[in-house]
Amino acid sequence: MFRNYLKIAWRNLWKSRLLTAVNILGLAVAFTASILLVLTAAREFSFDQFHDHKQQLQQLYISVHHVQGTEERSNLPMPLTPALKQEFPEVKAASRFMDASGMVRYRDKMYGSDVMGVDPDFLRMFSFPLLSGEKQQPLRSLSNVVITERMARKIFGSAEPVGQSLEMYLEGRWKTFIVSAVAEDVPDNSSLEFDMLCRFEHVPAYADQKDAWNSSTHEVFVQLSDQATAAAFERRAKTFVNKYFAEGIRNLQRDGAVPGKDGALIGLHLMPLTDIHFNSISSSGGAISRFYPYMLLLIGIFILFIACVNFMNLTIAGAFSRSREIGMRKILGAFRGQVIMQLWGEAVLVCGLALLAGMAMAYFLLPGYNALFSNRLSLNLLRQPWLLPGLFLVFVLVTLVAGGYPALMIARLNTIKVLKGSLLTGRSNRVRNVLIVTQFVISSLLICCTLIAWQQLNYLRKKPLGYSKEQVISIPVPYNVDAELALTRMRNQLSGHAGILAVTGTDINMGRGRDGSSATSIVSFDYKGREVRSHWLRVDYDYVGAMGLQLVAGRDFSRAYGTDSSALLINEKMAAQLGGMEAALGALLPVEDSAHPQQVIGIVKDFNFKSLKEEIGPLTLNINKEWPLQYIFVKVAAGNLPGYMNLVKQQWQALYPGSSTDPSFLDENTDRQYRREQRFSGIFISAAVLAIIISCMGLFAISVLIMTRRTREVGVRKVLGASVAGIVTLLSKDFVKLVLLSVMIASPVAWYIMEQWLQHYAYRIPVNIGVFLLAGAIALLVAVITVSIQSVRAALMNPVKSIRTE
Amino acid sequence: MIQLKHISKHYPVGFGKNAVLDDIDLTIHAGEFVSIMGPSGSGKSTLLHILGLLEEPSGGEYLFEGEPVHKMSEKKRTQLHRGSIGFVFQAYHLIDELTVYENIETPLLYKNVPSSERKSRVADVLDRFNIVAKKDLFPNQLSGGQQQLVGIARAIVAEPRVIFADEPTGNLHSDQARVIMQLFKHLNETDKITIVQVTHSEQNAAFGHRVIEIRDGKIR
Repeated sequence: MFRNYLKIAWRNLWKSRLLTAVNILGLAVAFTASILLVLTAAREFSFDQFHDHKQQLQQLYISVHHVQGTEERSNLPMPLTPALKQEFPEVKAASRFMDASGMVRYRDKMYGSDVMGVDPDFLRMFSFPLLSGEKQQPLRSLSNVVITERMARKIFGSAEPVGQSLEMYLEGRWKTFIVSAVAEDVPDNSSLEFDMLCRFEHVPAYADQKDAWNSSTHEVFVQLSDQATAAAFERRAKTFVNKYFAEGIRNLQRDGAVPGKDGALIGLHLMPLTDIHFNSISSSGGAISRFYPYMLLLIGIFILFIACVNFMNLTIAGAFSRSREIGMRKILGAFRGQVIMQLWGEAVLVCGLALLAGMAMAYFLLPGYNALFSNRLSLNLLRQPWLLPGLFLVFVLVTLVAGGYPALMIARLNTIKVLKGSLLTGRSNRVRNVLIVTQFVISSLLICCTLIAWQQLNYLRKKPLGYSKEQVISIPVPYNVDAELALTRMRNQLSGHAGILAVTGTDINMGRGRDGSSATSIVSFDYKGREVRSHWLRVDYDYVGAMGLQLVAGRDFSRAYGTDSSALLINEKMAAQLGGMEAALGALLPVEDSAHPQQVIGIVKDFNFKSLKEEIGPLTLNINKEWPLQYIFVKVAAGNLPGYMNLVKQQWQALYPGSSTDPSFLDENTDRQYRREQRFSGIFISAAVLAIIISCMGLFAISVLIMTRRTREVGVRKVLGASVAGIVTLLSKDFVKLVLLSVMIASPVAWYIMEQWLQHYAYRIPVNIGVFLLAGAIALLVAVITVSIQSVRAALMNPVKSIRTE
Repeated sequence: MIQLKHISKHYPVGFGKNAVLDDIDLTIHAGEFVSIMGPSGSGKSTLLHILGLLEEPSGGEYLFEGEPVHKMSEKKRTQLHRGSIGFVFQAYHLIDELTVYENIETPLLYKNVPSSERKSRVADVLDRFNIVAKKDLFPNQLSGGQQQLVGIARAIVAEPRVIFADEPTGNLHSDQARVIMQLFKHLNETDKITIVQVTHSEQNAAFGHRVIEIRDGKIR
């Protein structure tokens, strides 16, 4: 019996090769796309899931209710962790986590390396397995380091790393360490990343700040005991906060800050480690909105659904030719269940072929997909326990939806009517139309969203930021180079060259450099009995000129004044905070302490020093050498930009041979801020294109079927004198109406969704009606072309031939 | 074997109804060869469909081998189609995607006949109808007469007790028709299969024992 079914299925598929091809190809492409999208989403969801104690691991963060608004951050003061361990028995283990160094030296060779300072608990809390060396207490001694396998191979080659000594660049000096253990490489889906671990005592400024409650520099992770809950901890933390943050609370009270929901001005909170990837409070976290991976899953489902609809429509349309066989089978003694099983089995066969093809395609496309969207996906993600059963479930669901409904419909048909050939097809047309409309609603929705996202991205890139970004080269200064000296030397080297307009320095890059890093530095101090908070930016002479900032009052930093190392430039937002331009200019601000106030000498026009997702905040610029420079900015003339870039690289190499740095133009950097948006809009565009292609494949196949059925009608009409254009219109009209209806349904939905999405951006485009018209035009055009291919063919046929066929 | 009591059949048309069969009383005994005749539209095909359990009467009572049909479940009817009833159609209705052999085999598959027995029974029938050479051909490679032979072979392979034939020779020319009718007669006489056929032709009707004339939904 089964063989009989298989034969029938195979012969049927072969007989209608075109439809089969559309079905299998469409479904296969949809499976491929869905698999890739699910993998992308699965990677996001897999972050930090590999830790054995993930249930108990939490990151600490602090919320402070300022007068200006609530601040939530994961940076905490150094003495907090020891105090925490003493006062909270439910904290089983805790570790601070902070950058210690970026440079190590072994036998006079230097290596860039991400060295993190942690407490000894760190390796007990997190599941970063040790491969060799001291496995119990690898960080017992202050001079021990733990190194990852990859880094060990890079530095020591094939030699045994454990017991080797190497040097680390710490606060301007080289210090010797001994490798005590080798750890497995940090998984790619870990929020916490490191090449080496050393004791927290080695982090910059540890000696000064180890008892300072007012300076927050690093993150803290805790492991609660098994019975403890985060809520209970947070309740108990209130007394703790009142004890240690008393001064801060007093200041907030004085300024008239309003407490949060829990009634506290400052609160300590926990967030589960597994959430930090989706959280913007955590510095280590990915700040990825959960919206994105869910969106990807949704798009995957959409695409799969569209392909299923094709399958359904084609099967129902093809049922006409199958119904005689089914009717005869029923007369020969087939139960309805058997008929349904047979038809469903055929669907399983087709879907199975499509799934195999789709999996093969996904396997071969994965490297290209990763490269295209700068993802790091691997098939290892399939090892997640929910994924494979999920895939199987989806597959069964697809066969049920795509094959089950048509099977049920065909099996229900009246046997006698089928055999007499008087089958009514009116009802199935309505179902078909609804399905086609659904397909095109989804397609137009994706097109609309893509267009709006693309416009917004374009707007972010093109919007003037208030400073010159095209002609400024940013050079990150390596850890082991004295930045002040490097700036002076670069100034001297470049000053003679034509086209070099200015050379200056800063401690925070604009946008994200090639190293991908960005930083924020905020100071707060009391001024006239009120707390004032401001972004804090170290610059150097000529910064205003090089960046093309506009001075609206006062003067720029100048070498002519010896006292400018304690002078400040502020932006308009900061001036407003200080009580307006007049009041601000010349004001003495007690930034570090009230004994040495710093004077505001000028006010610059507001510019977007952060990404356009954020409003411009108060900003203070200084040239105080206490804040080390990290970047050298070179302003060059317009014109031969690559030439200037080469010049800058050459000069750097001449000054520091062997020291590598990776300069970039600031506009590259600001573009890089929107990498995630670019990645997602890339995926969106591909999905939209796929959706419309698959929808049109279905439309094409349906129109083939309909044209064959209406061949005689067309013939008769032509004999009666209808023009080709008239017939094409007649045949395409119905489809065009369906597509128009779809666009009309999709537009408001797209408008709503994208309006929500745009709320993430402080600077955004208004959604205009043109987008929907354009999306409609695209969908319509593609659909009309698809249908016309068939209707023109039908219209051009020799009527004598088509009439004779019957 | 078959007993119809006051059988009627009508379809709704607009607000009224269109009566196709009206108060039919009919008894057919096992082993009979009955021909139903009448002009087109007289309701003879509908009567055959009701007899063959393909359509339900609007009123009246139908006993098949003593059992009331209107009380049978869908499953029971399908069982009858598997074992007791064979059909032959004017348009043959062979399954286009299956070969001659596979077409004949299909009813046995539904009847769950074991593989070896299936083979021998299909081979028997092929042999008996002299179509062994055609067994691997598809229906559209056969002439009309040959297709109808296959149709009959398929109808008898499950060894039914009654065959309903709806104008079995309607699409055939007279020589072929005679062959088919002789086959029916033979089946009726040697295999004791009850045969009920609908036909237009007096000649064909002459092969049977009894003619039922039907006109305007009534037996005359």
